[in-house]
Amino acid sequence: MDPRIPADWIDDFEAASARTLEERMRYAFIHTYKPVLDDEPYRSFDTMAEYRRWCEEKLPSWLGYGRTV
Amino acid sequence: MAARFEYRQAQEIAAAFRKHRVRYLFIGKSGAIILGFPDTTQDADLFVEKSPENGRAIVAALQDLGFPLGPDHRAEIERGKDFVQLRNGTYDLDLVFAPDGIETFGEADRRALEIEGMRVCHIDDIIRSKEAAGRVKDLESLPRLKAFRDWWTRRPGP
Repeated sequence: MDPRIPADWIDDFEAASARTLEERMRYAFIHTYKPVLDDEPYRSFDTMAEYRRWCEEKLPSWLGYGRTV
Repeated sequence: MAARFEYRQAQEIAAAFRKHRVRYLFIGKSGAIILGFPDTTQDADLFVEKSPENGRAIVAALQDLGFPLGPDHRAEIERGKDFVQLRNGTYDLDLVFAPDGIETFGEADRRALEIEGMRVCHIDDIIRSKEAAGRVKDLESLPRLKAFRDWWTRRPGP
């Protein structure tokens, strides 16, 4: 196996591959309230640039939606 | 607040989209998870082809799935925005008509996989879109996602 991949990551990948998709999804999908983002039932944006700009201007930075480039 | 997304709901999306012949692919971390990537996420992201015909099919499928869509929302989805966020169903769903880093739906569709009836972007396209998006949360997950790609492409077959 690729020596550049940390052994604990490979263990994770192999353990996940032994589970059914239904099990993997049960462990993977979580739901917590995200301020602002979850406060409207519907939003749409004409362009991805508009969406990215909205994320940077309106969402708390700790949610991680801001761009690094 | 919506509940967490479940396997049964992913299967329902696949069935409704198949019924209405929606051209779609799971993308983002939700797509990676379906491919086998062990991580966590909150909502499901669907890359959908931007065309009037597909837009009408998406609206019909979303209504079958119980998403309440008013006339304005239906018109917007049919017309094809670049990004639509649905927080009015039993789970959260993002419709991405123009993901960063992917030229066309057709190209991604040719590389896509079908897993238990669900159409999913190839891991390379998921990585490409996250690299192009360049968000803090994407860049944090990319090293592990790339390692998963390396492991996944070299893993022994079933």
